[in-house]
Amino acid sequence: MATSSGLMIAPTARVSGGLWHDAFRRLRRNKPALVGIFFIAVFVTGAILAPWIAPYGPTVGSLSNNMQGPSLAHLMGTDLQGYDEFSRVLYGARISLTVGVVAVVFGLIGGTTVGAIAGGAGGIVDGVLMRVVDVLLAVPGILLAIGIVAWLGHGEIQIMLAVGVSYSPIFARLLRGSLLALRESDYVIAARSMGASPVRILLRHMLPNALTPLIVQATLAAATAIIDVAGLGFLGLGPGDPRVAEWGEMLTDSSRFLQDAPYLIFFPGAAIVISAVGFNLLGDGLREALDPRLKR
Amino acid sequence: MALLSVRDLLVRFQTHDGTVYAVNGVSFDLDESETLGLVGESGCGKSVTNLAVMRLLPRPAGRIVGGHVYFQDEDLVGLDEAEMRDLRGKEIAMIFQDPMTSLNPVLTIEEQMVETIKAHKKVTGKEARARAIELLAMVGIPEPEPLLRNFPHQFSGGMRQRVMIAMALALEPKLLIADEPTTALDVTIQAQVLELLSRLAADHGTAVILITHDLGVVAGMTRRTNVMYAGFVVESATTANLFAKPSHPYTVGLLHSMPRLDAQPGEPLIPIEGTPPDLRFAPVGCPFAPRCAWRVEACWKEMPTLEPIVATSEVQMTGPLATHRAACWNRPTPEEAAAGRPLRDDFIPAALPIEAPR
Repeated sequence: MATSSGLMIAPTARVSGGLWHDAFRRLRRNKPALVGIFFIAVFVTGAILAPWIAPYGPTVGSLSNNMQGPSLAHLMGTDLQGYDEFSRVLYGARISLTVGVVAVVFGLIGGTTVGAIAGGAGGIVDGVLMRVVDVLLAVPGILLAIGIVAWLGHGEIQIMLAVGVSYSPIFARLLRGSLLALRESDYVIAARSMGASPVRILLRHMLPNALTPLIVQATLAAATAIIDVAGLGFLGLGPGDPRVAEWGEMLTDSSRFLQDAPYLIFFPGAAIVISAVGFNLLGDGLREALDPRLKR
Repeated sequence: MALLSVRDLLVRFQTHDGTVYAVNGVSFDLDESETLGLVGESGCGKSVTNLAVMRLLPRPAGRIVGGHVYFQDEDLVGLDEAEMRDLRGKEIAMIFQDPMTSLNPVLTIEEQMVETIKAHKKVTGKEARARAIELLAMVGIPEPEPLLRNFPHQFSGGMRQRVMIAMALALEPKLLIADEPTTALDVTIQAQVLELLSRLAADHGTAVILITHDLGVVAGMTRRTNVMYAGFVVESATTANLFAKPSHPYTVGLLHSMPRLDAQPGEPLIPIEGTPPDLRFAPVGCPFAPRCAWRVEACWKEMPTLEPIVATSEVQMTGPLATHRAACWNRPTPEEAAAGRPLRDDFIPAALPIEAPR
């Protein structure tokens, strides 16, 4: 060996960083993604710190002081009950963000489980599961969510489940597609040729390599989930308690006064749009950062 | 008794375009610590034959529809997936063509090596790691310990193929199938990797099937060679005999299409005219007939079996005295093989029959 080791090519002396390190580096150079992160950070901070930074509680105010335009005392004015609109937008961020994000997590859990089983098992199992997914995909997501909330009743958990279920087919199909492609990849066949078990191949070799499109899709889904949650609230299928500040319900409550108090529509609407745009920008940035074809 | 004994192996693929007749009755034997070359152009069934031995044909399209694969007297065709899993890696290991894609990009070298060892041996993580270091040192990677934490993309192609070899030999398999192990590597690295492979196989007494389309690699690495064409073994001999006395027109064509150092400058290479047959049609007659200068009427009707080129009472399937056999109705004579064309007076290749089978 001593003779041939002199000829050997030394391994490239690159710092062991790995895929995530590289992806993070690319993400940091992506300006739109940074704007997205900034928007999300603003809302997350506002949601977490709402009890401390909101000038009033979400249900503090008097009817005598209702429907006031924006002023120094009430930055975004007051609503029909005389509650401070700015405080309610801040508290609303808590509901919208948690419900939106948790709904996506529910969708991810359900969808990846189904997708992993279908893509891993193949054959009849795959066929049956994917036909179910096709049926769910044929039903518009918001309609499915409305049906589920109508069935399970009002409440935050119900909304999370409803939106989660309506998103899971997308994740299931996405993951299954990646797994099918990976199943014939060289390193999976190589792992099989070494005697690795199917479960191990699925969990260790295939899933981690199928993860990046899921991450991108989940981030983008968080944007639409926020809109869907607000949409359910707007349709009267929100958390149920009218005192709870929720952006969608705030829109419904104010829609009757569009002429007199447009600011009551503008601020919750802007909150929905900006947070959704934030997640969209981040999702697009992640797509570019995690795409191996764009590697430089 | 041979270590591996493949008998009348038939492999078919069901595709949207119909059935692909990939392997059409391949038989060969391999002794312990013997090296066998499998030569042929792309799509001739050499890789598929070995994937079938490993029972790793792409599912559900690829299927073994006939024949037997006896490994240590056990027919692998009848084993279930769990039994095959016990064999893979432990008794039969495989090295793939492209080291760039056959290591998982998201797992470190350590994770992949330890995983392989632990799949078959009850050892602690620490023991498996020590074994991994030992193996990497064995394949000539200096200071392997810090490199264990690296990801495949941090290695060069030659280094990755060394890692693959280390993994394949981790459990000291009896049979190693190397599917074009150096095709994707630089020529200088090729020689190192081949040298390493043959030395380690000899040290461990591992039998090797080397799949390649490079006759030079076969000459340097193997004792015995099977030439494959369109899913058939058309010639089988010791490597020395094959080069000395090529007895199938396809082998003759292969040898003449290879550049030689002793050729006169400017002397043209002689390519084999035509293209391999479309494997979506069931083979009728000899698949090489349309490209063959030696073809006779019988070639269109029936595929000849592998027969000894010199009449003998006993056929040796393996070893240094393996019988030289060719599947041809009209074998080229040594003079014709040297010339690369039929030399007999007024010989005309048989015309395509009217009811053309292909």
